[in-house]
Amino acid sequence: MNIEQVKERAGPREFGPSDEMPEPYRKAATRMIQFHANSEIMGALIERPFIRQAPSLERKLAVSAQVQDEIGHGQLLYRAAEQLGVKTREEMLDELADGRGKFLNCFHYPLDHWYELPMIMFFVDGAAMRRQASLKRTSWEPYAHAIDKICFEEGFHIKHGEDILREIATGSRRDKELLQDAFEKWWPRILQFFGPTDDDSTHGGFAQEVGLKTMSNDDLRNAFLNAYLPKAEKYGLEIPEYPRIEYDESRDHYEIENSDLDWAEFETVSKNEYPPGREQIDSRGRRQEAVDWVREAIMDDSTTAVTGTTGAAAD
Amino acid sequence: MTELDPRDLSETEYAAVTAELETLADDQFVVAERYTDWQTRGPTLEADIAVANIAQDEYGHARLWYDLLEDLGHTEQELIWERDPASFRHATLLELGYETGGWADCVLRGYLYDVFEQLHLGALEETTYPRIADRLGKVQGEEGYHREHTESWLDRLTEDAAPGDEALVRLQAALDRLYPHALTLFEPTEHETQIVELGVRSTPLADLRGDWLAITTPFLGGLGLDVPDPELPESGVRGRDGTHTDDWERLYNEFTYTYEMLDREPRKLLVDPDEVGG
Amino acid sequence: MRFEVFRQEKRKEYHQHVGDVHAPDMELAKQYAQVIHARRKPANSLWVVPKDEIGTVDADEQSVEMGGTTQKQYRWATNFATGEMPEEIEESEREQQSVERDAAGESDD
Repeated sequence: MNIEQVKERAGPREFGPSDEMPEPYRKAATRMIQFHANSEIMGALIERPFIRQAPSLERKLAVSAQVQDEIGHGQLLYRAAEQLGVKTREEMLDELADGRGKFLNCFHYPLDHWYELPMIMFFVDGAAMRRQASLKRTSWEPYAHAIDKICFEEGFHIKHGEDILREIATGSRRDKELLQDAFEKWWPRILQFFGPTDDDSTHGGFAQEVGLKTMSNDDLRNAFLNAYLPKAEKYGLEIPEYPRIEYDESRDHYEIENSDLDWAEFETVSKNEYPPGREQIDSRGRRQEAVDWVREAIMDDSTTAVTGTTGAAAD
Repeated sequence: MTELDPRDLSETEYAAVTAELETLADDQFVVAERYTDWQTRGPTLEADIAVANIAQDEYGHARLWYDLLEDLGHTEQELIWERDPASFRHATLLELGYETGGWADCVLRGYLYDVFEQLHLGALEETTYPRIADRLGKVQGEEGYHREHTESWLDRLTEDAAPGDEALVRLQAALDRLYPHALTLFEPTEHETQIVELGVRSTPLADLRGDWLAITTPFLGGLGLDVPDPELPESGVRGRDGTHTDDWERLYNEFTYTYEMLDREPRKLLVDPDEVGG
Repeated sequence: MRFEVFRQEKRKEYHQHVGDVHAPDMELAKQYAQVIHARRKPANSLWVVPKDEIGTVDADEQSVEMGGTTQKQYRWATNFATGEMPEEIEESEREQQSVERDAAGESDD
């Protein structure tokens, strides 16, 4: 198949491992799914401290299950990416460890305490869920299969996140203040989750043409705000004055004043150069390296796909 | 032996049942806490997910036993979050922190504990406390999986290993470090005599040690490991009597961190202008 | 040798187990599979797997955990009452409810 044929046929779950996909498709799909898989792993990483710090046994169980789910999502997604024949899972995990692997902006910011947790577990996961739901119709079938299971599990995460939010929001005055502080700190990052409003993002156009993506970032952000702004208000959170958001009734659309957001920081984050985020990446990398000996010890002698081999899996 | 009536326990019976339930629950709670150290840090994605599952099983078992203590009038707050760290009864084996990359420690510790746990639960099959008997089956079902999981890992790590191979060296170092602490699994609480006499658990913990040695010594030897002499930790900590290592204090401070922080509005805020005059 | 056969009826669907074939090697097994398991029922793709290469886990075996034997309500969306949710969350919850119902139905048998 050439690219023109791919664009013509592009539709939900249209292409799978038995189709001969052209290189630009395989590369674009690998980049997108690898980014998604990396984001699951790094999302799990910033939630991880709250397994220990959760304030009840029930919460501990739920946070642990959630982190477990996210690693499981990574496992599913790396496979969906691997099937494109561009990179092996080991290669993608090594890229994540050495700082080449990219992932969502919000997971570059470590969480200071429990009050920040719902910012990730409710708002960021909610935004991610919006995007994921639209990917049930992606053109790479193995990706859609992974998304089926991710969406099946993810409802639990967001409801648990909202439950934590509710609990804090109905706590003491100090709890509410700390919650509002956390919200103000995270709100601009959450708005940046879907990228700049006025550009179509470098790869968005092609990914949409070949059916990998089914909705534009702008539409996704809008759908997210429609659903989650009322939730924020429900729990007494005040939407900060800046960044300015204008609702345009005629278009049922939220306009965000782009210049109110720190895009220079976003750029730094995207390149894995934001120092606290970089430390997250490096610390995870060191942990991965520290158990290299285990992978070597259990490696089947017949398998040679160890770190350092180059040849990507053949089709 | 006479069955105990949970709604009508004498003071001695109450103390014995409480001590045994705390031993069960605290062991499970702390082993779970340490398993979660491996979440996002497992040697493979699959290993990571399996360890998370085991951690949740163990928390779940802790909850089953803490529930029985709640039946006796305690709250989760008292049993975990506001409890004096020096009154926790778990064995010191379970509280030790891992060294970075210490997967050998993780699976070996899991194995040493799983064998003990199996014997401990087996010794409770004839318990005179009916509520423990009711819950045993469910817990035993999951513990079987845990034990096979740790055994599989130990087999896999040592398979075809020659003396001096990294996996064996690491396992031996972990065994030397953990072994004295593993022996604290068999240390009694101050209520051990009553626990045995009342039949809450008719076999003394110390008697399970022989069975445990008979299972673990040949298994570990078969992996190519030298099993140390059975001696308790030099530091003198015993776990079940409330004496613990420094690692426990750090762990306790971490897991109570949010609990301490939440909802702690100082009383003086009541004179806040918004609050007065209404 | 025995081979288990999995058939995918149409593109985009999952492969499902349909039966086996006895054959001396993989090449013949793949040829037999086509005429035995895809003769009338349509097939877009077949997976043919040596029986000996398949690991089996049965729920009633000792030390088999599957989903676990103790209460795991904490990992279900239905555990949290949060009012009306965005459609994709509601859908996720409906899928979970249906799985929970199936599981409850089985344990009642």
